[in-house]
Amino acid sequence: MKTIVLGVGNPILQDDGVGLHVIEALRERLTNPKVTLETAMTGGMNLLDLIRGYEKVILIDAVKQLGSHPGEVKRFKLTDLPTVHSCNPHDVSLSEALQLAEQLKEPQLPSSIILIGITVDNTYEFGEHLSSTVASAVPKAVNLVLEELKNT
Amino acid sequence: MKTITIDPITRLEGHGKINIFLNDHGDVENAYLQIPELRGFEKFAEGRRAEDMPQITSRICGVCPVAHHFAATKALDAAFHVDPPAAAKKLRELLYTGYIIYDHILHFYFLGGPDFVVGPEAPAAKRNILGVIEKAGLDVAKDVIKHRAYGQKITAILGGKATHPVCGLPGGVSKGLSKEEVVEIKNMVASCHTFAKFTLNLFEDVVLKNKTYVDLIQSDPYTLKTYNMGLVDKHNKVNFYDGLIRVTDQEAQELEKFDVKDYTKHIAELVEEWSYMKYPYLKSVGWHGLTDGKTSGIYRVGPLGRLNAADGMATPQAEKEYKRMFDTLGGKPVNSTLAFHWARLIELLYATERAKELIDDADITSTHIRNPVGTPGEGIGVVEAARGTLIHHYHVDKKGLIEKANMIVATTNNAGAITMSVRDAAKGVIHKGHVTEGLLNKVEMAFRAYDPCFGCATHTLPGGLPMTVNIYDHRRKLYKTFSQP
Repeated sequence: MKTIVLGVGNPILQDDGVGLHVIEALRERLTNPKVTLETAMTGGMNLLDLIRGYEKVILIDAVKQLGSHPGEVKRFKLTDLPTVHSCNPHDVSLSEALQLAEQLKEPQLPSSIILIGITVDNTYEFGEHLSSTVASAVPKAVNLVLEELKNT
Repeated sequence: MKTITIDPITRLEGHGKINIFLNDHGDVENAYLQIPELRGFEKFAEGRRAEDMPQITSRICGVCPVAHHFAATKALDAAFHVDPPAAAKKLRELLYTGYIIYDHILHFYFLGGPDFVVGPEAPAAKRNILGVIEKAGLDVAKDVIKHRAYGQKITAILGGKATHPVCGLPGGVSKGLSKEEVVEIKNMVASCHTFAKFTLNLFEDVVLKNKTYVDLIQSDPYTLKTYNMGLVDKHNKVNFYDGLIRVTDQEAQELEKFDVKDYTKHIAELVEEWSYMKYPYLKSVGWHGLTDGKTSGIYRVGPLGRLNAADGMATPQAEKEYKRMFDTLGGKPVNSTLAFHWARLIELLYATERAKELIDDADITSTHIRNPVGTPGEGIGVVEAARGTLIHHYHVDKKGLIEKANMIVATTNNAGAITMSVRDAAKGVIHKGHVTEGLLNKVEMAFRAYDPCFGCATHTLPGGLPMTVNIYDHRRKLYKTFSQP
């Protein structure tokens, strides 16, 4: 199955960029040539452009969730989420972009999209480094992705 | 006092929160917009190589990377005392028109337009692009997707990379255009031009021919008599990439016109303790609270601010549309907040016309696209981001490292006006504590017109429905919570 693992985040807003760090760590572990590793600092419609043509998509992103602590790693289906926010306030969510593409009967849409979310707290302060709590979740996320890829 | 909190705002998927304060009768006393601002930019920038700033600052925002990229690049031109070759300026401006094309299309069809196309009273679940498709048809949607992508493609060809350009250097650009690329861009621009005209016709059919909408646009709650600000060329026409900053008053007369290097002489910033926002105002008029009129230094930027602050558009078809808008809405300036949407479409048309001029220019394939830099110092750059005037200001030391950095972003320039618009819209639609979703949406419409941009770290999984309303008692204790789908 043609697969893309896509890390999403902002590299200069600390923990927000955790998805990008997971991709970096995966580059050292992953050998399967059928799997593309990619990073994106954008959302919604631009993400849709990136995942077109792949059958399976694994998104890795920072998430905020009520009642969870920073550094937890969770697997979601896209349908589990009320909205997947884009990384800016001006775009549509990925779910909305996908619904749109489905309505337009676009041919190259992925059949499976899952999200590996790493819970974070502070994403409002500029900085290139992850907090130690969130950094310690990176290996967990990497393992979860590798596990996910076994089935491809 | 009771507080109604709208959070998060549907479709504006940032962390903005509207707090509406009701008095004991349940009428709106005041309303404020809270935006958690990104912190620590100055410290983050300190000590970095100046030439990295266009790349770094383009990461600030996932939607206006191009605007930050060129505000930074222009600040570096100034800091390194270098004037780029004519061809480099044209390449930068052409890239910039691509950004305006995709950004304005996205806003109209995905964010602002659904309120009109689907209707302000429609349920939230319908007020989005999917609702627009239902109403306008699949072919329109296909065109929306296609031309938004064309705008992106133009910026990618010129910028060297999709979404985040890497071409801007002090003194010019790193990449020119090949003859093949010129042909490719020319075709995309022609198609975008046709689509811009189509969109203005759609606006005419859906909005202007509907008296309810025209009345809504011109109604008191959506009217604000502030000063207006925008970049203009030497003929006082709207320009996104370069020119002088012009400010006009409530009679459309010029109050001041200045080079961005003097911005601190003209613009001051007030920091309100209770808000996350800074409120910029005109120094020559002064700060007199959140109020409009001639005695208040609050101004508006963005599409309507730009059109009001200029004497016209530099291209023929956009100029015609410009005149039509002012004729239709009662002359200059237009103070109707919802007219931002119309102004945005006129700018879309202008961007396609200007792109055509630039791509047809013989200079555009020139290979002389960079001049050598001088010794570094202080530099200030300005561009018109899609949502308004954007200023970057750097102090660069002798080694070429950033000593100090400051920015005024478009949404900050509009902060005072946005806050007032939200308050006035709330006053117009909430009476005696009676709040329905249609009414709340009208409050959001006031806000959405400005196309505000919040911090871009929004990977949030909300724990509930898209809109939650919290009502607090006068001690600000939670009194009642309800959500709307």
